[in-house]
Amino acid sequence: MKFLLAIPLFFVPLAVHDNVVLTILIFTYLVGILAVSFNLIFGFTGQLSLFHAAAFGLSAYATYLSMVHLGVSFWVGALIGVLFVTLISIAIGAICFRFKLRELYFAIVTLAFSELIRLVILNWNSFTNGSLGINFTLTPTLWVPGRGVIPVAGTIMWYYLSLAAVVAAVFAYSRIVHSWMGRCFASIRLNDALADTLGINVFRYKLVSFVAGNIGAAVAGSLYSFYISYIDPNYFSLDQSLAIIAMALLGGREFVAAPIVGALVLTALPHVINVNAEARLLIYGLILILTILLMPRGIVGLLVRRRHAA
Amino acid sequence: MLQLVVGQLLNGVIVGTLYAIIALGVTLTFGITGIVNFALGVFMMLGAYVTWYLTDGIGIAYPLAVPLAVACIALIGLAVDQSLFRFTRNNLINGLIVSIGLISVIVAIVLMIWTTTPQNMHYVLPGVLRLGGVVVPKMKAVVFVVLLLVILFTYGALTRTWAGRAAYAYAQNAEAAALMGIRTGVLQAGVAAYSAALAGLGGALYASLYSITPEIGSSYILKGVEAAILAGIGSVMGSFAGGIIIGVAEGVGSIFLPSAYNDAYGLVFLVLILLLRPAGLFAPR
Amino acid sequence: MLLEVRHLTKRFGGLTAVSDLSFGLDAGEIIGVFGPNGSGKTTLLNLISGVYTPTAGELVWKDEALVGRKPHEIAAAGIVKTFQNPQLFGELSVFENVAIAGHLRLKRQAGWRRVATLFPVRANADDDLASRIDHVLRLCRLDAFRDVPAASLSYGGEKMLGVALALMCEPVLLLLDEPGSGLGHDELRNLDEVLRDLRAHGTTLCVIDHRVGFLGKLADRAIVIHHGAKIAEGRPDDVLRDRAVIEAYLGRGDA
Repeated sequence: MKFLLAIPLFFVPLAVHDNVVLTILIFTYLVGILAVSFNLIFGFTGQLSLFHAAAFGLSAYATYLSMVHLGVSFWVGALIGVLFVTLISIAIGAICFRFKLRELYFAIVTLAFSELIRLVILNWNSFTNGSLGINFTLTPTLWVPGRGVIPVAGTIMWYYLSLAAVVAAVFAYSRIVHSWMGRCFASIRLNDALADTLGINVFRYKLVSFVAGNIGAAVAGSLYSFYISYIDPNYFSLDQSLAIIAMALLGGREFVAAPIVGALVLTALPHVINVNAEARLLIYGLILILTILLMPRGIVGLLVRRRHAA
Repeated sequence: MLQLVVGQLLNGVIVGTLYAIIALGVTLTFGITGIVNFALGVFMMLGAYVTWYLTDGIGIAYPLAVPLAVACIALIGLAVDQSLFRFTRNNLINGLIVSIGLISVIVAIVLMIWTTTPQNMHYVLPGVLRLGGVVVPKMKAVVFVVLLLVILFTYGALTRTWAGRAAYAYAQNAEAAALMGIRTGVLQAGVAAYSAALAGLGGALYASLYSITPEIGSSYILKGVEAAILAGIGSVMGSFAGGIIIGVAEGVGSIFLPSAYNDAYGLVFLVLILLLRPAGLFAPR
Repeated sequence: MLLEVRHLTKRFGGLTAVSDLSFGLDAGEIIGVFGPNGSGKTTLLNLISGVYTPTAGELVWKDEALVGRKPHEIAAAGIVKTFQNPQLFGELSVFENVAIAGHLRLKRQAGWRRVATLFPVRANADDDLASRIDHVLRLCRLDAFRDVPAASLSYGGEKMLGVALALMCEPVLLLLDEPGSGLGHDELRNLDEVLRDLRAHGTTLCVIDHRVGFLGKLADRAIVIHHGAKIAEGRPDDVLRDRAVIEAYLGRGDA
C-alpha cells in the first residue's frame, strides 16, 4: 500500500546528485521520525505532550555521553539513550496519568518536566558542557562485510541510514495503529470515559502510547545529533516542541506517515526559500496559522478521505 | 542577611506583580474564550517596544506614552482576536497553534524593525526610596502601585459592574448567558482586548525598569500561565497571589541557589499544584 | 446469588443520593429498577459499575468484593453498563465502534499473547472479530447501519448502539440505564425482543426505565427507589400497585 511510495526514495541518490536536495531529505526523514512518533501520542491517542523535544534531546545527550564515558559504540549508545528515555517516560507518564491530568494540564505538566530537564542540562556544565552544547568528535560506525568497520559519513550513507530509519519507524507505528492497540488509542482519544466502561485500561494505554511515542523521539534524537555532530540545550526548548506539533498538524493528524509531509515543508522550506532568519520565522508563523484555520486535516487530509480506526 | 532577604522579597513582589498582570490576562481569556492565549507574552513585549519608541523615539512623555501604548496593544489584541481567535473558541489545541504562529509572526516583525539588540529606555524616575534598611528604586515602587491598582480595578469591575457579572455568568454557563441576552461575541472581543491591554501595560511598565529584547515575552507568559494555574483559573485576586508567590520564590530562592535555577521554582510549583490540587490554591471549594 | 448489594450509601457533600440500599440479584433474571427522577437509580448503577465509590456499604459479585475496583476491571469481571445519554465514538462507523468494544473479548481469548499480533509474524485476530461484530449488530438490528458514522444515527439507533457496545463485552450482568427512553414504539418493541433474547442466552439484566408499561412487562422482579432508599421490592404487578410507590410517583392525593 503506502509503503510502495517509499521504494522510489531508495533510488533518489542515483538520480539526484545535488547535495542540498539530499541533505534536505535527510533532515526530513530524521525530523519525520520525530513528527510521526509524536503523532502517535497526539493525533491517535489525543494527548498533547510537550515532552517530545525533551525525549529527543535526552537521547542525544545520553547516546553521546555514554559513548564518551563508557566507550561503547554508537549503536549501543543509542540503545542506552532509548532505554533512558523509556524509563523517564514511564515515570513521567505514570505520574501524569495516575493523577488523571487532562488536555491542557497534561500539556503543561509535560512542558514543566521538559523545562526542568532543560535547566538541569543547561547548568550541569561539568557533564553536559551547559549552554555551549557539545561538538561531537565521535561518529557512528558500521560493520560492512568485506570492508570491515567504516564510519558513517557523507551524505549518501546518511541518506540511506535515515531513510531506513524512517521507513522502519513508519512501519512499526503503522502496525501499532492498525491493530487492536490502535483501536484502544482511538477510544481514548474519542471518549475515554466510555472506553473505561468497555474494559479498556485507559491509564495503561495512555502510558503505552506516551512511551512508544517517546521511543521514536529518542531514536530520532540519537541519529539527528550525530548527523549534525552537535547538541545543545536549545533542542529541549518549548519552540522545538511546538515545531513538532506544527509538523503533525501541517502533514495531517489522521495518518501515520502524514507528519513527514509536515516535516518536509517546515525543514525544507527554510532551506529552499533563501531568506534571512527573521523572514523565515515570519513564514513559519503564517504557515501555522493558515494551516490550522484553513486546513485542519493537514495537507495529506486534503488529498485523502477519512481514516478508519483499524 | 536579613536585609538581603527582605530586599529580594520586595523585589520578588514587584516582579511577581508583573507576572500577575499577565496571569490575569491568561485567566480572563481562558474563562471567556476557552483557550490559553500564549500570545499575551508578545503583547507584553510589544507594549514595551511601543512605549520605548514613543518616549525615546518620538519624545512623548512617559506618563502619556503608557496609556497610548496600552490602547495600541488593546487594538492589536482586538484585531487579532476577531480575525484569528474567533475561529478557535474553546478549542485549546487550535488556539495554542494559532498563538504560537502569531508569536512567530510578531517576533519576526519586531526583529526586522529593531533587531535583537537590547534597547534601554531612559530613566523615567531615578532615585530610590529608603524603607527601613532596604533600598527600593522609586520606579519599581510606582510600577507596583500601578499594577496593583489595575488588578484591584479589574476585580472590582468584574464583581460590581453589570459587564463584569455578565462575564462571570458567561464563564459559568455560556449557553445560559447567551439566552439571557448577554452579547457573547462582544463579551469575548472585549475580554480579548482587555487581556491584551493588561499585557501591554505590563510591558510598558517593564520598559521603564529593564532593557528590552524581542524575547522578553516568552518567559513572562510561561510565568503568567504558571501563576494562573497555581492560583486556580478564574480567580482574579488569585492571579495576583500566584504571581507574587512565584516572584518571591524566585527572588528569595536566588539567594540560596544559583540564579540559573530561577525558572525552576515556578515549574515545580506548577507540577505540584496540578498533581495535588488541580483546581488551584484559591479556587472556590 | 450473583450480585449482592449490602447497605449501599453514596453521599455527595450534603446530598445523599443512595441510602442504605440492599438487595440481591440472581443469575438469569431481569430486575427492573423504578423510581421517580432524581431518586438515585443512575447513581446506583454508577456505584455497581465502579464509576462512583460508595460512601458506605458493600458490593459482592460472585463472592468477591467490587468496591475499590476500577470501571475497566469491573467490566472485565463481567458487569457492563450503558449510559442514559448514549456515549459513542462519534467519528467512527458503527462497525468500528463495536470493534473497539471487542477489546475485552480479545483479552479473554488471547491474553498477553495479543501483543504478538502487533508483529507481522502472527495472523491478526481480526477475522474472528468481524464475524462476531456482525452477529452483535444483527442482534441489535443495526446491521443496515454497519458502515455509517455513529454520530449520524437516530437517537434510537444511538441507544441500540450503546446496547451493542455493552453486548460485545460479553457481560454476565448488563446494567441498562433507561434504554427505552426516547425510543419510538417500534424501536421499543425491538429493544424488548433483544433483551428477552439476552436473558434467554443467560445474561442477567438490571434495567432502569421510566416506562412502567415497558419495564413492568419485561422484568421478573422490581425494586422501587425513592430519595435513594428502597421502598418496595417484589413482583412488578404487586410493586406497582403498592401505595407507597404510587405516592412516590404521583404524590399523596392520588394514592
